[in-house]
This record gives sequence, C-alpha cells and structure tokens, in this order.
Amino acid sequence: MIGAAETSLLVGSALLLGLLVFFLVGSDRMPIGTSGKPISVYCAAGLQPPVAAAARAYQDQYGIAIDLTYGGSGTLLSQLSVARSGDLYIAADDSYIRSGREKGIVDEDLSLAWQVPVLAVARGNSKGISSLEDLLRDDISVGFAHPEAAAVGRIVRQVLIEAGLWEGVQARVKVFKPTVMDLANDLKIGTIDLAVIWDATAAQYPEIEGVRVQAFDAVRRPISLGVLSWSGQPAAAFHFARYLAARDKGLPHFAKRGYTVADGDRWEETPELLLMSGAMLSKAIDETVAEFEQREGVRVTRIYNGCGILVSQMKSGSRPDAYFACDQSFLDQVSERFESGQTVSANSMVILVAKDNPKKISGLADLARPGLRVGLGHPEKSALGSLTVTLLERGGHLAALKASGNLVVESATGDYLVNQARAGALDAAIVYRSNTAMVGDHLDTVEIGDANAHAVQPYAVARDSTHKQLMGRLLDAIAGQRSQKRFEGLGFDWKCKLPEMSGR
Amino acid sequence: MHSSDRPFRACLFVFAAAYVLLLIAMLVADASFTSFGNIWTALTSPEIQYAIRLSFLSATITAILSVWFAVPIGYLMSRHSFRGKLLIDGILDIPIVLPPMVIGLSLLILFQTPLGKAVESVVPVTYRIPSVIIAQFSVACAFAIRAMIITFDQIDPRGEAVAQTLGCNARQAFWRVALPQARRGVLGAGMLAWARALGEFGPILVFSGATRMRTEVLPSTVFLELSIGNIDAAVAVSLIMVTAALVVLCLGRLLGLGRKVF
Repeated sequence: MIGAAETSLLVGSALLLGLLVFFLVGSDRMPIGTSGKPISVYCAAGLQPPVAAAARAYQDQYGIAIDLTYGGSGTLLSQLSVARSGDLYIAADDSYIRSGREKGIVDEDLSLAWQVPVLAVARGNSKGISSLEDLLRDDISVGFAHPEAAAVGRIVRQVLIEAGLWEGVQARVKVFKPTVMDLANDLKIGTIDLAVIWDATAAQYPEIEGVRVQAFDAVRRPISLGVLSWSGQPAAAFHFARYLAARDKGLPHFAKRGYTVADGDRWEETPELLLMSGAMLSKAIDETVAEFEQREGVRVTRIYNGCGILVSQMKSGSRPDAYFACDQSFLDQVSERFESGQTVSANSMVILVAKDNPKKISGLADLARPGLRVGLGHPEKSALGSLTVTLLERGGHLAALKASGNLVVESATGDYLVNQARAGALDAAIVYRSNTAMVGDHLDTVEIGDANAHAVQPYAVARDSTHKQLMGRLLDAIAGQRSQKRFEGLGFDWKCKLPEMSGR
Repeated sequence: MHSSDRPFRACLFVFAAAYVLLLIAMLVADASFTSFGNIWTALTSPEIQYAIRLSFLSATITAILSVWFAVPIGYLMSRHSFRGKLLIDGILDIPIVLPPMVIGLSLLILFQTPLGKAVESVVPVTYRIPSVIIAQFSVACAFAIRAMIITFDQIDPRGEAVAQTLGCNARQAFWRVALPQARRGVLGAGMLAWARALGEFGPILVFSGATRMRTEVLPSTVFLELSIGNIDAAVAVSLIMVTAALVVLCLGRLLGLGRKVF
C-alpha cells in the first residue's frame, strides 16, 4: 500500500496536470467567425507582413481561415517533405519552389513579386556608398549573406566573381550571416556599415536604405507561391493562392511594403476563361483541361474548330485568353494578339483509305487516278487544308488532282473527313494521324513520306488576357506527363521542351 | 570569521559579481532598445497573449511530466546496477547533446511512421499543441533526469538500508526516506525542466511550426518578430519572458526552501 502522503503527492500532481491540460484544450481550435477547413500555408518568415495582411483581408471577405506557419524557406521545405501536410508554400526565393517541383512537393507555382539585391546602409548613407567598389573600402565594415545558406549570398557572389571583385570582398567581409534578416538587424543595431540584402528587406526597416546598382538589377529573383501536391483541397487552396497573386487583391499588400510585384491576374472568384483550340486537339486536351478546371476551381470554355474559322472569329472580335493552334501558320496570322507560342506537339499527315487499301493508293500521285473520291481539308478554314494544299502544290500533284475531278469534299475539320471515309463516301482523304486514332479497325492509313507533311501545334497566351498566369498554368498542365501520354496515345509527336516553366 | 578569509570571500564575490553584471548588462541593453510603449503593445496583442499563455501552460505541464519521469529514472540509475546501464546512461544524455533542430526533425519523422500515424489518428500531434509539449518534454526531461541522478547520488543510501532493516520494503524506503530527502532536488529538477521548456525553440519550430494563435510560444514570437525586422518587439517579448521566468523561479525556490525552514 502507498501511504497517504505519497497518494496525495501523486494525486495532487495529477490533478494539477489535468487542470493545466484543461486550460489548454480549446486553445487548439479554429479562429472565430470562420467556416470550412482552414487553408494551411507555409510561409517564409520574412514575407509575414504582406502575406498576413492579405490573409486577414481574405478571411474577412470569405470567412475561410488561413493557417500561417512561418519559418526559413529551406527549413519549411524540409518540414514539408517529411510531414506531407499543408496546402500552400511561399518561399523567399524561387529556387526553393523549383527544388520543391523537382522533388514532387510542389505541383504548380504562382509568381508574387520580384526582389533585387541592393547595397543596404543606414538611412542617410553618410559614407556615400554608391557602387560595388565601395565593398572594398577600408573604412566600411561589410556583412554578407552566407552563399551556401542564403540565395542572395549565392547570387551576389556570382555577380562579384564576374566583376572580378569577389576575392577582395571576401577577404574584407566582417561577418557572414545565414539570412538577410540577420544582416538587416546588424545594420540596424550598427555592428556593420554595409550589407548586401534584398531591396524588399531593406524597405521593411525605416532605419535602412537600399542603394541600387546596375549589376544587381540584372539578377532580380522571383518570389513565388507553390501549391503542394498533396493538398486535399486544391480548389480552395487555389482560391486563396489566386487571391494572393491577384493584382487587385494580394499584390498591393506586397507593393505597399516595397516589393516590385509580378504581373498578376485580375481577381475573379471563379475565373471564366476562353480557350480557342484547333479541332484536331480536342481529344488530346479536353480531359486535361477538365482536370485543370477541377483542380484550380475555374471554368475554361473550350471552342474547338477549324483553325481558319477560329482565326477569322478572332479577327472579327473574339478575344480568347489563349489559342492552341493546329499549326504555327495560323498563330502567325494573329501573332500581334498573342505572346510568343510554346510548341507542344506535332501531327503528321497521312492518306486515309478503306481497310486493306482496296484501291491500292500508295502516295499523293495516286489521288488523281480516275474514279476515286477524295476528301481534303478546306484550305482557308483549316490548317489541315492549307497544309495539304501546300504539300500537293510542292509535290506537283495539285493541278492533276483538281483536273481529275476526284475532289468531292473540302471540310473544315479532319474528323468530318474520317466520318465520310468511315461511311464509305470517300476512297481517300488526307488527314492528321491523330484523326485516325479511333478508326484503326475500319480504315487504313498510307504514309505520305514527305518531311513537310506535318503540322506543329503551338499554345499561346493572349497579350490582353487578364489571366495570363492562369493560362500559363494551363500550359503547364498541357505540357505535363499525363497530357503527354494522351497526345502520344492519339498519334501526336511530343515537342514540348519542358517541364521548366517557372519564371514567367 | 578569520580576518585572513576576507580575500577569499572577496574573490568569490568578484567572480559572482562579474557574471551577474554581464547578465544584468545584457538585460539593460535589451531594455534600452525598447520602451514601455513597445512592451505594452506586445502585451496587448492577442497573438502574444496567446503565446504567453501557451508558453506558461505547456512549460508547467512539461515540468510536471518531467518530474514524474525523472524521479523514478534518477532513482533507478543512482541506486541500481544492471546490464547495459552504461549504455542507458549515454542514451539519456542524447537530448542534451543533439542539436535542438535534430530533435524536432526526429520527432517529425517519428510521427510519420505507422506508429506515429496511429497516434495521430487518435490525437492530432504534429503542428498542434500536443507537439509543443512533446518537443519540450523530450529535451527538458533529460535535464531533470540528470539533476535527479545527481540528487540521489548525493543522498547516502544507508538511510534507506536502515529503514529496510527496520521493516520497510523497498517502496516504503523510497517514499519515506529517499524522496523526502530529495525534495530540494526534485524541486530543482522541476524548475530546471520548466525553465528549459519555456526557452525551448528549435524542436518546436520544426515539429510544431510557428503558427500564430496555435503553436506560437514566446521563443517563436521572438523568432517571428526578428525575421520581419521588428527588433523592438522581439526585445520586448524577450524581456517579458525573462521577467516572468525570474518571478516564477524565485517564487518557486522561495516556497520550496520555505517549507524546509518551517
């Protein structure tokens, strides 16, 4: 038996413990006035002021709680990769987001702002710091960010090496610190006279001013936000991510604090976007676009049609946010409206014939043989038609074909030609290989054997789109591996030199 | 007192004064960097109030838990010899030796194992309040254990032996003879664990995160304020921490010693 004194000791301490735990329970709850699952954001500690302010505004507007966890960008990335939790990750330097992408931690990224290294000095710049050479002055004590620990240290070291100054500077540096905040604090306290830090960091301190130098302006770095691949609520996470990266919502909070902000999208709760795409691409991209809509929580209206028709629609006033053209030649016709295109795929042209090729068609020359019924793409309405005409012309077959009277149909889309052939109304048609993916059991194809017999499909974002970033992410999705399988499964050749899409 | 003892005593005072002065000078320097206005702003911010509450509650819970574990472990290590004792002794020092971040990382990884996930399915730990206490406990307890081993080592085991010849069993000898003698040591171990837990930062940052109004303890506040260049607030919070800790530790020692006087 335990004596009374012992019992009271044990029970007493247990009761005290219980009481303390009771006080704590209830602390671990959702903030008042919010609904739904909170969005969990891992945020570089230095970005706390703009992000917290934007999160508060978002919370007030939508009643959805934002859980902000702060730490060093690298520490957070390590934490994330172990715990595999959270929805968003905001790093102080884009290199962490890239590294997260490579490790499969980050799936998409949104640009928020830029930062530029500056020569930071106490306000007033009493020592007249103005150029890189001042880093070598004897009367100046310099603090430097550790090149291995901090992005700014690494970047600036490179600039100094190229300027031939690194050796001298390195020998004179009074202290290397792991973060720019450490350096800014040192400047503020007065233990150093000059530190190379980010402009936005310097802007946070009323006591510090940043001196811009040209050599540093060339190496500005993006600050971006990553969407974590394991987020269980991607649409909700994107909602806040888009809010934070919106030029009229989150970004002003950054601008107010001295950041040079990115060219953000305009805020819309559920963006409605217009994608014009060549009909030949519909099967290849439709599922990818639908998945994108689901994940981002946006609506993408797809208009699939012959590219000539799409171009004339654009010329008569249609304003798509992006255009996925059947061939570069069609994008060229409206190039002034779009940013430069990204080539995604290529599609070779083939001659479609009946099963086992009963008419023994072996090449373009055979199409003019008497008694054949031939279908081609419409030369103005479709890329297929225009490429076909060029192809026939170059091979010297066009005149013969026209004279033969074999040409019975010109269609805006290749699929229409396939249906005609499938129904037995055509003996031969020139189509894309991707058009024939579904009819392999009933029809055969004959290779054309000409290096020019293919179309190249570029994707381009409209210059005047208010959702350039979003449309850029759609390209990321289309350039992704799953999408690649869909393209290749349909007979397209993959031409995407990605996945390095960041830094738009 | 021998008059020849004076230089010796003076020498003791000089060392004590030098160290205490250093500590006080640091605090004064801190205080000169902030103002009452800053401290007041810090005290009235709901985030910092929350951090104060969480810090004190969690540190106290950690201290009690640490004492619960440290007393039996200290007694075991001090009084008993067994195979592998040397190894166990070494293992008990791991939290003292390991860099704090590594402890946090190890806990983070531990709670991603099947065992950890089983626990998480009942009580969410990672990035929540329980993780704060576990992180504090895993370090603070090691210090409390070390203190208890030394305490029991310094108590002559003969007292317990005599009690046992007079009819006590081992349990009674522990409760009635050893523990009462170790009371100051227990108090000291508890205080040490408490202070250690209050200042704990590295493991908490990694294992609990620094989420405002959830897992933010006072050291996280200092870190967060420093990382946005708000030195004034960081210093104000540090001073609040130091003052509160000083009050609690002095009060604890006074009460603990007080009982001995009566």
